[in-house]
Amino acid sequence: MAKIKLKNVSFGYNDGFSVINNVSISVLEGEFVSVIGPSGCGKSTILNLLAGLNFPTGGSILLDGRRIVGPGSERGVVFQHYSLFPWMTARQNIVFGLKQVNRAKTKKELEKVAAEYLEQVGLREFADKYPAQLSGGMQQRVAIARAFAMDSDILLMDEPFSAVDAINRMALQELLLNLWDNGAKRKTIVFVTHDVDEAILLSDRVVLMSAGAGMIKDDMAIDFKRPRNRTALLKSAAFSELRNTMVDLLYDDLLEQNGVEAAL
Amino acid sequence: MKKMINVTNILFILILLLELLPDQRIAANSGYLVALVGLIHLYYMLNFIFRKDSSKVETVGDVTAIVYGVLLLWELSTAKLNLVGEMLYPAPGPVIALFMAEIPEFLKGLASSIQLLLAGYLLALVIAVPLALLIGWRQRLFKAVKPLTKVLGPIPPIVFIPYAIGILPTFKTASIFVIFIGAFWPIFINTLNGVFSVEKKIVDSAKALNISEKSMLFEIILPATLPSIISGSTIGLVLSFILLTAAEMIGATSGLGWYVKYFSDFADYPRVIVGIIYIGIVVTGITHLFDKLEAYLLRWRK
Repeated sequence: MAKIKLKNVSFGYNDGFSVINNVSISVLEGEFVSVIGPSGCGKSTILNLLAGLNFPTGGSILLDGRRIVGPGSERGVVFQHYSLFPWMTARQNIVFGLKQVNRAKTKKELEKVAAEYLEQVGLREFADKYPAQLSGGMQQRVAIARAFAMDSDILLMDEPFSAVDAINRMALQELLLNLWDNGAKRKTIVFVTHDVDEAILLSDRVVLMSAGAGMIKDDMAIDFKRPRNRTALLKSAAFSELRNTMVDLLYDDLLEQNGVEAAL
Repeated sequence: MKKMINVTNILFILILLLELLPDQRIAANSGYLVALVGLIHLYYMLNFIFRKDSSKVETVGDVTAIVYGVLLLWELSTAKLNLVGEMLYPAPGPVIALFMAEIPEFLKGLASSIQLLLAGYLLALVIAVPLALLIGWRQRLFKAVKPLTKVLGPIPPIVFIPYAIGILPTFKTASIFVIFIGAFWPIFINTLNGVFSVEKKIVDSAKALNISEKSMLFEIILPATLPSIISGSTIGLVLSFILLTAAEMIGATSGLGWYVKYFSDFADYPRVIVGIIYIGIVVTGITHLFDKLEAYLLRWRK
């Protein structure tokens, strides 16, 4: 049985505007699936629906075979911005998340767990800093630390590294893979991005959305063995081929949508 | 040594030289002015000698120079040249002397005024903030209440004073009521709008954590709205001072506003000026404390 199943999911607004149309995706337990597409294709909406922040206007979303009825602690969410609460320090942000899933523990115990995860993301000395005192990359690291600390089975990430510079983005990608691969059981991750390289590097499968129509264009498996070596992978022919295929698919779609003839 | 020759020091010397001129008024009390200027200059010189940050020293010097300039013109136009009527325009000397002598009166008035201010203001704070948080959070309530705030909010609270004095049993309760109204609307409206403008992604992040509604309101919405609450509270505080003073001038028997009105009725303008200075000091002090509180509460901001 799939861990997550979107069955003919549609989402639209009252005025008839349809954001997502009849989307079906299955995600197995422990799979890392990326959803990629141009802006406005509905990929963030899919994530919101999975997070339980919105409800589909058609179709259903199943978690372990059961319909979701709202947010839940088994699904951790990391947004591009504002995942952290600005009035709490890094440590307090993690403790706040932990409190929601660990009501029995004392504050000291929670703080200890928070410190462990801050250590894992390399931010031990920044525990008492506020988000405004941290760089964008550091903020996302704290958000990831919180998500992993809460030990949810599923991680939903909405372009978490898109607002970060290229160097930090690579570091964050490595961090994510390390944390994901480290535990006893791999989490199920649904990762939204517009970066094709990132999608191929990180995922087991990439779901490509078509521009504008809110539908799935393709669903491709990424067969590269793990642990993946970035430098080796980026140089390989197989990677380039896969990448170009995806870019073409997305680009053609975009051109078609905008009614422009392909220039090249 | 070159730095010693600056505007501040020149003005200081000028004031001292000015005092060598004969007084054209009998009760000039110039000694007090010299004492005050001496104390100010002592503060300035201490800054000059001991403070490391030279731009701060410059600012202290510039402000002092402006103060000296004002005192110079004041003393010149009153005690020395008597360009303006003695009745209406006292010289700095008598004002300073009175300032010190009236301190017991000041403290009595302060106690009276502060009671009213705190009662009205805190009542407004305690009612407006939770109410606004609740209403701002619920879409339908918010849409219903917002147009009402646009009509009721702008009414200048001063117009309520005569009516309040009429319907409420004591002057004190009437004042507290008016101060309450004055502080309530800015705090309420700012908090309401603050809730409305909390970044949606923050609310989403909180919702994704599956927290209770109570937790959402008090642990998320309240801190997120704090900047708006504080700006509304600041406006409310300023209005409270204004209304307090206005109310005291109309119907009180004690307090700082009453003091100014009472002595102006007697045309005792030196006391009027002293009263105004007292009020200025109180407002400055309280606002300063408020700013410190704000800096602490919003320390998480960039």
